[in-house]
Amino acid sequence: MATENGSAEPAKLNEKPGEKPGGKTNTNGKTDGKRAVTPITVTHPENVGVESIQLFREPPWMLRLTIQDDRSYLRVKIVRAAPLSHPNRYICILDAKDEEICMIDDPKLLASEMADIVKEELDRRYLTSTIERVTSVRNEFGTSYWDVLTNRGEREFVVQNASENAQWLGDHRLLLVDVDGNRFEISDLNALDKKSQGYVELVL
Amino acid sequence: MPPQVSLKLSRVQGPQEEVLVQVATDMATEEVFDERWLVITNQRLLLLDTDTGDNDNDNDNDTDNDTDNGVWHWPLASVKGARVEALVGGGRLEIESNDGAPTHYLYYSNSLADKFGEIAEGISQLSRGEEMALPTQLERTRCARCNRVLPEKDGVCPACLKKLDTLKRLLRYFAPYRIRVALLLFVLAAETLIDLIPPFITQHIIDDVLVPRANLGLLAQLALALLGINVVGWFAWVSRRWLGTTVGFRAIEAMRMDLYRALQYLPLRSFDKRKVGGLISRMTNDSDLVEVYLIFDIPYIVNNTLMVIGILGILFYKSWELTLYVLLPVPFIIIGSSMIWQRMEAHWRRWSAKWSRLSSHLNESIRGIRVVKAFAQERREGQRFDRHNTDLRDVSVTAERTWVVFFMVTNFFMSFGVFFVWYFGGQQVLGDELTLGELMAFITFIWMLYQPLKWFGDFYGFMMRAYAGAERIFEIIDTRSEPFEEPGAVPMPRIEGRVRFCRASFGYDPGKPVLKDVELEVKPGEMIGLVGKSGAGKSTLIQLMCRFYDVTRGSLEIDGVDIRQIRLEDLRGQIGLVAQTSFLFNCTIAQNISYGRPGASFDEILRAARAANAHEFIVTKPDGYDMVVGEQGNKLSGGEKQRLAIARAILHDPRILILDEATSSLDTPTEKKIQEAISRLVAGRTTFAIAHRLTTLRSADRLVVLDAGKIVEVGTHEELMETQGYFYNFVKTQQETSAVTAVSG
Repeated sequence: MATENGSAEPAKLNEKPGEKPGGKTNTNGKTDGKRAVTPITVTHPENVGVESIQLFREPPWMLRLTIQDDRSYLRVKIVRAAPLSHPNRYICILDAKDEEICMIDDPKLLASEMADIVKEELDRRYLTSTIERVTSVRNEFGTSYWDVLTNRGEREFVVQNASENAQWLGDHRLLLVDVDGNRFEISDLNALDKKSQGYVELVL
Repeated sequence: MPPQVSLKLSRVQGPQEEVLVQVATDMATEEVFDERWLVITNQRLLLLDTDTGDNDNDNDNDTDNDTDNGVWHWPLASVKGARVEALVGGGRLEIESNDGAPTHYLYYSNSLADKFGEIAEGISQLSRGEEMALPTQLERTRCARCNRVLPEKDGVCPACLKKLDTLKRLLRYFAPYRIRVALLLFVLAAETLIDLIPPFITQHIIDDVLVPRANLGLLAQLALALLGINVVGWFAWVSRRWLGTTVGFRAIEAMRMDLYRALQYLPLRSFDKRKVGGLISRMTNDSDLVEVYLIFDIPYIVNNTLMVIGILGILFYKSWELTLYVLLPVPFIIIGSSMIWQRMEAHWRRWSAKWSRLSSHLNESIRGIRVVKAFAQERREGQRFDRHNTDLRDVSVTAERTWVVFFMVTNFFMSFGVFFVWYFGGQQVLGDELTLGELMAFITFIWMLYQPLKWFGDFYGFMMRAYAGAERIFEIIDTRSEPFEEPGAVPMPRIEGRVRFCRASFGYDPGKPVLKDVELEVKPGEMIGLVGKSGAGKSTLIQLMCRFYDVTRGSLEIDGVDIRQIRLEDLRGQIGLVAQTSFLFNCTIAQNISYGRPGASFDEILRAARAANAHEFIVTKPDGYDMVVGEQGNKLSGGEKQRLAIARAILHDPRILILDEATSSLDTPTEKKIQEAISRLVAGRTTFAIAHRLTTLRSADRLVVLDAGKIVEVGTHEELMETQGYFYNFVKTQQETSAVTAVSG
């Protein structure tokens, strides 16, 4: 892992989509236009060109990864690097020991059948439900009991200490984590009906 | 199990087929929340959907022989095992068939993750031909009575509290002060009575002095009586508070004592399950809630209830018609105030959330001031603070406004009562049915009646919180403590130190063994080095030695006696523990050294400190042995703390010694000193040492190498190096890493 010092010798697959996110996320107060951002150069073995990534299911219940002309993994796992802020970008492929093999900055650049595989895998891994309607919320003894309609159907859940277990992801986007660690998202509070909004506001 | 599912099950269940487990997932597929039943019988696995039709999952799997009347089923013989895959917000159970292909996936949400972990283990056990050993009890997530989801696992359902039982139990703490409590009740009643008297006197003043404009002598008497009543009332008030607080605080003291004792004797397992913060909050917050309830709320409630009853009695006696007018706004006051109380509570909650956010920001930015300055982010921090500050202002304003509305609304309704009484009462006075004094008394009584009603809206919530707090405290008190005083336990005044693990298995969760079939015999006085990766089970082995936990299968014997039969006090009294980071108490060095043997003489303490190479640094401290080490010993360095811990262990004189990475994270010269101290400590005692450093391991008589809960190698350092097995590789990698660190500095 300790190859941070290898900036002098370029690795074999050395085109850097990694600079873009580095430059983008660095916006905290410094982008007054006065200072140019120094590009961050990292040479990482994880940096693999999108075109050399081959994902396929063989046997059908196992997901395999081959990095062309280099190496192959029998069982890999696909995860999001930033599931909340960048759900559709920065996708990591991990090996059986949960160590990162490579990152796909933008899965759209993949061949379509592989992009489909990535989407399927992500869809089954992230079981966060989206709340479509709040049927009722009761608040008792510091614990709120929710009865909601989600994209997966109706569900009841309990959130303890709402101020700690609700995370605002934006001005109108909210993530609730219930006592068991299940996740419920309200992607746009204003898009819910008035009654649902009222319930949410009562608690938060 | 819903009827349509059990019907389905009965259709396919064979005559000799016995259901072992039936369990429902809460997700039919990864896309839908719904139940789906997995039934494990002694012959096969069955999967049943809740719908009545049996044809809509043909696309799930292809082979025809998998279904039987629309029920998926697999003979146990064709199942190789099951495993779970943790997903984000849930998980997936994979049933694996003999050819390695998964036959089916079952999705479930995080609420059932623990349960399905056990199920997977159970299926694997069955498919290996073993008995299924499922934990008999899983943590309860729902209330057994009302099926409401519990705020914490195995917790108390706030809605189903047996309030009366809890109250009775609370009152039991007052039993030793029976006389004082009786006195208190008497004073309370007297106080209420006294409070009711002044309006009568004013009534007399008006009717017999002011209206007739005569009887000056009577006026003096009445005024004096008023003064006297006030003095008596004041006296009653003081004595009530006096009695109430002494009795209440004593009861609370006894309760806290019970709680603390219970906490100390709680088995370690309970500490794993609960967060330390949660336990401490039972000691502090919950007992606070109960305290406020016992000391302030109960007297207040009793006082006001008596008052309301008394006033109503008087009013009815005086004029039942007027009283009906008085009562007219009461339902509105109660309903209105309880409605606003709810909103008030939401505001207060919001307010305290904002307040804590502001203070945590403050805390963070002040603690991290170096970072803020180094990155020149003062302005941004200021902006962040402003935002929190504005938020706080906004909620404070709304809260305050609602508070004003609360008073407005209740006063509004009350003024109706007053209006009715003035209007109709005034008519009665004019019609000579009522005297002016009586009317004035009436009006005074109305206010006295309405005031407590305002607060009744909040009583329920307050009471419930206090009961929930009490219940949480009682829960701890009721938890079975460690078997410290088992009657049949074998006393063992002096342990020889022969230790024998006999096919010992153990898991913190019954389904997931951490140690598997450990076989090991240790001679008295032998030093055993435990080697293995983290998570291999070294620490667990040691925890079993201390009997912090009991083996789930097999046995552990000390001097030929099963550890479960040895008197716990004798066992723990002769086991010494020196851990990686030693915990010291906030008292003097001498007191810390003698913690395990409180009566030790100063000479003994000195000898122990010398043997531990601690004496030399202790005497350089200005207060020497009398130095207070600070919270967790933070006034001492790591090496100093470690040497004190060793001195403590030496003085304790254990027969079995446990060194849990006692020398890691120290610099080399210090380590040498500690090595020396340890070698003195080890002499003549059975020792188990966990260590990563090879220097520590070299002095061990035998090394035991653990991997994934099993003993893989046993032998001396030389033997293991020769066999070039697991240990050899371990040493090699360590040497390589230290070479790399040496190069890179």
